[in-house]
Parts: sequence; structure tokens; C-alpha cells
Amino acid sequence: MIEIRSLTKDYGSFRAVDDLNLKIPQGQVVGLLGPNGAGKTTTLRVLTGYMPPTSGSITVEGFDCVSESPEVRRRLGYLPESNPLYSEMRVEEYLRFRARIFEMPRENRAKAIERVIERCWLREMRKRLIGHLSKGYRQRVGLAAALLHSPPVLVLDEPTSGLDPVQIRETRNLIRELAGEHTMIISSHILPEVERTVDRIVIITQGKIRADGTVEELRDSAGESNHYRVEVNGASADGLVEGIRKMAAVHDVRSEALRDGWQQVVVTSRRGAGDLREAIGEMVRDRGVHCRELMRESDSLEQLFVRIAMGDDGAAVVGNGAGGANGGTNSAADGVKNEGRTE
Amino acid sequence: MIMSRPISIARRELISYFATPVGYVVISLYLVISGVLFSLTALANAQPASMRSFFEVSVFLLLFIAPAISMRLVSEELRSGTLESLMTCPVMDWQVVFGKWLAAMTFFIAMLWPTILYVLILEIYANPDYGPIFCGYLGLIFVGALYLSAGLLASTFCSSQILSYLIALFFWLFYWGFTSMLPQYIGGRTADYLFWLNINSRFSNDFAKGVIDTSTMVYFASGTVLFLIAAVKVLESRRWR
Repeated sequence: MIEIRSLTKDYGSFRAVDDLNLKIPQGQVVGLLGPNGAGKTTTLRVLTGYMPPTSGSITVEGFDCVSESPEVRRRLGYLPESNPLYSEMRVEEYLRFRARIFEMPRENRAKAIERVIERCWLREMRKRLIGHLSKGYRQRVGLAAALLHSPPVLVLDEPTSGLDPVQIRETRNLIRELAGEHTMIISSHILPEVERTVDRIVIITQGKIRADGTVEELRDSAGESNHYRVEVNGASADGLVEGIRKMAAVHDVRSEALRDGWQQVVVTSRRGAGDLREAIGEMVRDRGVHCRELMRESDSLEQLFVRIAMGDDGAAVVGNGAGGANGGTNSAADGVKNEGRTE
Repeated sequence: MIMSRPISIARRELISYFATPVGYVVISLYLVISGVLFSLTALANAQPASMRSFFEVSVFLLLFIAPAISMRLVSEELRSGTLESLMTCPVMDWQVVFGKWLAAMTFFIAMLWPTILYVLILEIYANPDYGPIFCGYLGLIFVGALYLSAGLLASTFCSSQILSYLIALFFWLFYWGFTSMLPQYIGGRTADYLFWLNINSRFSNDFAKGVIDTSTMVYFASGTVLFLIAAVKVLESRRWR
């Protein structure tokens, strides 16, 4: 359980974090999202005890990040933003060093090192110099070091920045695997990166929380509408367009003939209408129209993020899943989600 | 175990010393220069079988060599950003500083070790007095401890190794001028006090002669502790800025 209370951090006259409040119940995976310079890294650095807050406080499992910093640091696994490593050390050497620094009992060290080497697919690289590894492998070494002492809380600052698409995918998979075992905070400035990994998204700009909720909640409140794309063919296709237009939840329907004779129908639903895919699908079936595609376009979350990041979204969107006030129910829900994720 | 973390940090630091060419270059440079000077002085005709000139040359060389040993200690971590991952481990600032100083001292003593050969050479050709030799080495270690702790402090100031080398070097050059040139101009009691503070004269008048003077040892040890505490404070201040 992490609790951030009216956290403020100034760098000289610049306010990087401004009265931030956040509660993260045990086991939740939170994506901390915001453009560069929004205050994400600063918040995480206060949390990890690297720098103190100007005012306000953070507690981790009841321990204060300033006055009980060593206790907090013992409970954290931290992957800093640029993943700094000692390039002149070998992978195994580095992990042994970390194990000693964390004062892990001698008899557990070898086992723990084996475990993280296995987990982060570093088996072939264990004797290599860190400086000779590719960026993807270096990232795994950083993750392995963060996981080594089995911390209850994992803090990953931009875990996939600078990686190629294959490495991003591997890292994301690894993070998803870890999600069930740790409370996690993952920061990123790219939405799709965290969208599929986290239980909850917190969007920060200019040091303030602008939106907070589950992916679904944010998506619902994201824009005026959801878009669906249907590609149909056949005599009754025009009738289908009319039928959809008459649905109560539909705001707008546009149809366009494609080059290959098929017709693309773009449906825009009203705010908060929920998922219309099933309803549209039934209508397609009932009318006997040939259909080759029916998909919900989920770019609205991206739009919300961009809008907030650009700063022209006056009203803050705060979802109900915001937090810790009802921590008990939340973690129960998270349990269900975690099961879903392991598939 | 309160010392286990400093020792772990020192071990890690030693890996880095010997993984980069700087360590070997520093050691070879010292051994070549001190070896040549040893041959020219102690092995010359009609010279006493003592290591005194070797010790005095070594203390002079340390002025340039100690900052090269200490320059990377914190600077390199600042440059590469590893300080962040180190300081977010459950370590105390003093453990980091002390561990790094311990590594520098170990490296320094490893550098002195081969010079035992000079003692053996004297033993073969003459009958050296072992008291002053022991005192000389003890003195070298005290001076090295002081220089290295100041160098460690210098390396907490900046992320550039060259700059931290120069800060340490110029500090000691300035200090040397302050305690050896300045007294000649002002004279009187103040001059005596200032001259007493001169590291080379402290060394030559005590350790090199085979004298173990408590006040000299306290002088070097307290200077060392002072610089180490200052380094801890600078490291702390990085958090509070």
C-alpha cells in the first residue's frame, strides 16, 4: 500500500509536483502517465528516497519515505529512468553486489540470483560484461536487479524507453507476468505501452493529477463517443445503415463505398453508451448482410491523453476506481483482473 | 553487520579499478618513477642503506597520484547515473563514502606492495635498519589516507573525473604553498605553526626519520576524517537540493 499525501516538489522556482494525492492499494498495477517533464520521475524519486519532497509525504506500507527511508528502500525494487548500470561489471557480479547491498542472507543469495536470471532470460549472458550487452539485455539486467530481493513494491520508470519493438514486447510480457506478485507503479509517456499492462491509469501533467481510473473508466469518459468500423457487402447493406442509425445509443453513422465494392460504415455512439459491438453484430446477422469486419476503434483514450497532455482539457476526469478509499473491494476486483491477464 | 555494506561497496569499486586501464597505468607509473629514483639514490655509491629518499620521493609523487586514484570514485557514478540506483538501495550515505575510501586505500596499498622489493634489495647488499622502514611505510599510508579522502571529497563535487582530479591536485598544491611558501614571508610564530602543517615536512621530520609522533598521526587521521565527513555531507546535500 502506497499513500502519497499532498506531495509538492520545487526545483528552485519551478514546481515539478504540485499537491499530488494518490493511494495505491496492495497488489494494484498503476500506470503513471504524462508527457515528459510532467513530474513522473520526480514523484518516483521522492518515493524511492532519492530526493526529499518540498512538502507533503509518501508512505509505503506505513513507512515514511523520508524519516524511514531505509525501511522503504528495502521494500522497493526500482528501475530508474535511464537504467544506469556499472558497465565494467559482469551480470552475475552485479547481481551478487546488489544481493549483498540488500543484506540478503548468504544462503539465499545464490538461489535468488538463479531465480531472477531465469526469470529475465539472462542465462546465456550471466558471464558477460554489462557494457557489452544490447540495450534490451541491459534492461533485463536492470529488471533482474530490481526483482532480486523480492520486493513487495516495484517501481519502473519508463521501462521500455529506447527499446526496439521486439524488446518492448518482451519487456511488456515480463511486466505482465510480474503484475500478479507485486504492487507496481509503471511510468510512461506513451499510452499504449501501459494500457494493456495496468489496472489503473493516472495521468499527470504539470505536477497535477488530471485523470485517474481504470482503463475502461477512462475510455468511457474519454470523448464524446466511441467509434466502430463495420465493413459490409450485399443488397441490404443500405438498410443496415438505416437500422443502425435508428439505434438509441448511436450518435452518427457514416457510410463510404470502398474500392473493392464493399462498404465501410463508421458508427459513432453516444457518450457512455457502452459497447455496441454485440448490438451491431446482431443487426448484421438478422439482416443477412455479409460482414468481413466489425471492430471498435479504441483511439479515444489516446485522444483523451493527448488532450490532457496538450493542456486544453479544463475539467479533470476522475474515475471511481480512483483508489484506496475502498481498497478492499478494489483488490478483490484486481484479483479477477490478474487472472484474466495471465491468459 | 554494520561494516558489511561498506565492504561490499569497496569490493565492487575494486572490480572497477582493475577493469579499467587507469588502475594499471597509475600503478605502473608510480612503480617506474619510484624505482628509477630509488636506483639513483639508495643504490648510488657511498649512500646509506636507507629508504628515506624513496619515502620522500613517494610522498611527493602521491600529490599527483592520489587524485588519480580517487578521481573516479563518485564522479563516475554521477556521470553514468548509477548513483541513483545505488542510493535507492538501503545504504547509508556514510557507508557509500567509507566503502569507496576503503577501496581507494586498498588500491593504494596494493600499489605500495611491490616496493617491498626495494627493501629486499637493500637487505641483500647491506644491513638496513627496519625501524625507519616500517615508520616510512606507516607514514605513507597516513599521507595516502589524507590525500585520498580529500580526493574523494573532490569527486563528489562534479561528474567529470578530470575536473575532480584537478580540484584535488590544486587544493593540495595551494595547501603546500600556504604551509611552505607563505611562512617564509610572514615569519614569527604564525610561520612556525603554518610550517608545522606542511605535509611533506611533517612526513620528513617524523615518519621518514623513523619517529612515530602521536601529534602527527592525529593530524593526518583527523584531516582524513574531516574530509570523509565533508564528503558524506556533500552526498547528502544532493538529496536536499
